Amino acid sequence: MSISTYNGAAIIAMSGKDCVAIGCDLRLGIQNQTLATDFKKVYKIHDRLYLGLAGLATDALTLNQRFQFKHNMYKLREERNMNPATFAHMVSKTLYEKRFGPYFVEPVIAGIDDDGTPYITGMDSLGAMETSKDFMVAGTAPNSLWGVCESFYRPNLGPEELFETISQCLLSGVDRDALSGWGAVVYVIAKDKSFVKTLKGRMD
Amino acid sequence: MAVSSWRMDVPGLDGKCGQASRAAADLALGQDALLTNAEVTQANFPLPAVQNLDHFGKKVEDLVKPDHGTTTLGFIFKNGVIIAVDSRASQGSYVSSQTVKKVIEINPYLLGTMAGGAADCAFWQRNLGMQCRMFELKNKKRITVCAASKMLANTMYSYKGMGLSMGSMVAGWDPSGPAIYYVDSDGQRTKGTIFSVGSGSLYAYGVLDQGYKWDMDIETAVELGQRAIYHAQFRDAVSGGTCSVYHITQSGWVKLRGNNHYDLHYQYYPDGHATSANSVI
Amino acid sequence: MEYVMGIKGKGFAMVCTSATAVQQIITMKHDEDKILPLGTHSLLATSGEPGDRVQFSEFVAANVRLYALRNGSKLSTKAIANFSRGELATALRKGPKSTNLLVAGYDKGKGASLYFLDYLATMHDMNIAGYGYGSWFVLSMYDRMWHPDLTEAEALEMMRLGIEEVKNRLVVASPTYTIKIVDEAGIRTVTV
Repeated sequence: MSISTYNGAAIIAMSGKDCVAIGCDLRLGIQNQTLATDFKKVYKIHDRLYLGLAGLATDALTLNQRFQFKHNMYKLREERNMNPATFAHMVSKTLYEKRFGPYFVEPVIAGIDDDGTPYITGMDSLGAMETSKDFMVAGTAPNSLWGVCESFYRPNLGPEELFETISQCLLSGVDRDALSGWGAVVYVIAKDKSFVKTLKGRMD
Repeated sequence: MAVSSWRMDVPGLDGKCGQASRAAADLALGQDALLTNAEVTQANFPLPAVQNLDHFGKKVEDLVKPDHGTTTLGFIFKNGVIIAVDSRASQGSYVSSQTVKKVIEINPYLLGTMAGGAADCAFWQRNLGMQCRMFELKNKKRITVCAASKMLANTMYSYKGMGLSMGSMVAGWDPSGPAIYYVDSDGQRTKGTIFSVGSGSLYAYGVLDQGYKWDMDIETAVELGQRAIYHAQFRDAVSGGTCSVYHITQSGWVKLRGNNHYDLHYQYYPDGHATSANSVI
Repeated sequence: MEYVMGIKGKGFAMVCTSATAVQQIITMKHDEDKILPLGTHSLLATSGEPGDRVQFSEFVAANVRLYALRNGSKLSTKAIANFSRGELATALRKGPKSTNLLVAGYDKGKGASLYFLDYLATMHDMNIAGYGYGSWFVLSMYDRMWHPDLTEAEALEMMRLGIEEVKNRLVVASPTYTIKIVDEAGIRTVTV
C-alpha cells in the first residue's frame, strides 16, 4: 500500500456565487484499521480561508502547524490576512522546497477574496497548482468524488444550496471508498454568512 | 501472522473426523455414509501449461485480486448455532458491492460462509451444494456436517498451491447435533465451537469472546453475533454493508436478521457517539 | 509480543503494556516497566524497538523535567504530546525512531486525556487506543464496552478482559503486563 493511502482521506472544495465550501471525511486509520472518526482534515487559516490536507496524516499535521506559523508571521508583518491566491502560492512554494523528500499530502485550498470572489485550488505533493473555477477533490477516493461532483455541481449556487451539493457529493463519494468516510464535516464560507456542519455518514 | 499448516490431510482419508460424530453418522446413515472422492461428481479444470505450478499459483493469486474484505462468524451454544456475516466486497480500497450474499444455503440444514476470493468461494460452495445433493439422492439420507465439510476440504486440497483463496465455515445440524467446521484453501479443516473468518475476524473475536456464554437464550446469541459483526465493520475498513444473522436448530436454519450498518450504528449510538470519536467541532 | 492499550475514563486515564523484555526468541525479563511517569500527572506508555523506545522516552522525560525546572510550571498533557510529536516528526525524515506511544495524563480544569502517537508522529486525542497485534482483538471489545461515564473499576475490568483475550487468542502473547492509572490524585500502579 502506498504512503498516500496509508491513513485515508476525502476532501472536496466547491465554489458558488460569492461563496465557497470545503468538506472532508472524519476517518483516521492505519491502512485497514480505523482508529478515530473525529479526525478533521480541513484547517482554518482565517475567517475566509480554509486549507484541506489529504494524504499522510503526520505530514498533514506538520504542514498545518507550519502554515499556521507562516500565516501568523505574515499577519504580524503585514497587519492583514493573507489573500487566498497568495496563500496558495506560499503552500506551493513550501511543498516544492521538499522536492527531493516531499511531504506526502495533497492540499486543497478554498477561500474568498475581500470582495467575495471564490478561489479554489488543488495541488499535488510537490506543489503543482491547479486552480479551478468549479470544484476540486483530493484523497483516497478521487474517482468517485470527481464523478459525483461532475454530476451534481451547478454554477452560481448560494451558500445553502452549495452546502447541500457538497454534502451529498462527499457522502456519496466516500461510500465507494473503504479508506474514507465515517462521517464528514463541511465548512461554507460566504462574505457575511459562514457556517460549519457535521454530517452523519455510514460508519463502515 | 498465520501459523503455517503442514500437509497432513490426504484425500479420501477421513483423518480429522471426530470418532464420536463419525460413529453417530455411520449409525444414522449406514456404513457407506461418506463417499470417496471418485464417486462424487467433480468439476474438472485443465491445468495451466507451466513448469512451476506453485510459482504460477502465487502469481495468479495477485492477479485475481482476492476479496479480502470480509467478516464472518459462527458459534455453537445451548440453543443451536449462530452464523453472522457482513456483505461488503472490495477490490483494494474500492468498495465493489455492499450487498454480497456471503452465506450459501446448501440445504435446509446446512450453511456455508464465504471469505477470501469472491469467485472461488461462490463457485466451490455451489459445487459443494451440488455434491451434497448428489449424496442425498444416492444415499436417501441428508449429509452430515462432518462429511460435507470434508468434501469441501478435499476439493480445496486437490487444488492446493494453485492459487485458490477461500476461508469458509460449514455449519449445520445433523443426527449428531450442531456442528461448525472451518475449511480453507490451504486444505485445513477443523471442528470447533467459535470461529470467525476474514479480514475483520480479529475484531469479531474480541466482541465474541467477551460476550459468549454457553447457555445464552436465542435473542442474546443473535444479538451477540450481530454486535460482533457490527464492531468488525466499524473497525475494519474493508468489512461493511449489512449484517445478516442465521440461527440453526434441529429443524434447520432460519435467517433472523439482515440490518444495514448505517441503521445499526444509529440504533446503537443515537447521538452518534462512538469510542473512536471525541467531540467533533 | 508488544502490547499497549489505553483507556480514557471519567476523570482518569489508564494504560497497560506487556511487561516482557524480548531478545529474538528469548524472554529475558518478565517485569520490564514500559510506562514512564512524566512528572506527577502524566504517563508515557511505550512500545517499539527496544533501543529507540528507551532512548526516546527518557529524552521526553528529561525535557519535561527541564521545562518544569526552568519555568516553574508544568507542561500540560497536550503540551507533552505535542512536544513528543514534534520530535518524532523531525526524526521521521532523519533517523526515524520506531517508538509507538500513548501519552496519558490528568490536567486540572481539563480532566483526563489520552493521546495516540505512533512512530510516524501521527497524533490524535482518543478514548481508547492501542498498538500491536493484540489491539486488533481488544479495540473492538473496548468499542463494545466503553461509555462516556466509565469508572475506574469498569476500566480495570476492561484491562483484565483485554489481557485475557490476548492470552487466549494471540499466538505470541506476553505472560506479564503492567497497568498504571493517572487521575486527580496522581499516578498509581494497579494489578488485576
